[in-house]
Amino acid sequence: MAKTIKQAKQLKFTYKEKEYTLEFTRRTVAEMEKKGFIAQEVEAKPMTTLPALFEGAFLAHHRFEKKDVIEEIFSHMTNKEDLIGKLAEMYNEPIMALVEEPEDNEGNVDWTASF
Amino acid sequence: MFRPNSPFPYTEAFYQQFPYYLSIGMTAEQYWDDDATLAYYYRKAEKLRKERRNEEFWLQGMYVYDAISRLTPVLHAFAKKGTKPQPYVEEAYPINKKKADDAKERKERAKAERGRRYMEGLMAQNNKRFKKDADNE
Repeated sequence: MAKTIKQAKQLKFTYKEKEYTLEFTRRTVAEMEKKGFIAQEVEAKPMTTLPALFEGAFLAHHRFEKKDVIEEIFSHMTNKEDLIGKLAEMYNEPIMALVEEPEDNEGNVDWTASF
Repeated sequence: MFRPNSPFPYTEAFYQQFPYYLSIGMTAEQYWDDDATLAYYYRKAEKLRKERRNEEFWLQGMYVYDAISRLTPVLHAFAKKGTKPQPYVEEAYPINKKKADDAKERKERAKAERGRRYMEGLMAQNNKRFKKDADNE
């Protein structure tokens, strides 16, 4: 039986020999909203919201990282199209964890198609 | 819970749910700063806790019911003089298979012991009678 262990979604990478873990907590999501970040705009205005989303993901584990460094890292990030999707998923997780039932994944069968 | 038109939709939802998670044992730090998925597990734990409490109450009800049943001989309005209530259940109800098996084994052993004593008594009585008959002859 395939069981999914629920764990916070994180994005990990190393930049200039420093390890980074990006994650959103309820506090950092609330902080971002306070600063004017609107999640619904991610799809409509990805170019303006993505840097803000990226910067916000540092708050949980690297709160005091300088903005310049974050911008520099962001400019070096590859595959930005996928990045926005992953960051949006991470941003939504603190709220989804409050509404999704833990039993949802239990006993479900994972499947893949070969065509 | 979630109002998308609010200027702070997520924050509002977080604050709305916050007291519930505090009530099921999550700390404020865990709720706001820890792994967001902890909430799943706290909900699941709360569900288990509720089920356990329900079973405990059911068991308590069983003891009360049992105790009242054992008292009924004396509670009867037309009970004969000298009627005694049955004693309270000797030991706690077995609540798992091992305990149930142990209790069953104890019961069977006690039954066998009673049988052995009965047979010994019978044998002693017979021996006594035979001895008496032999003496008379």
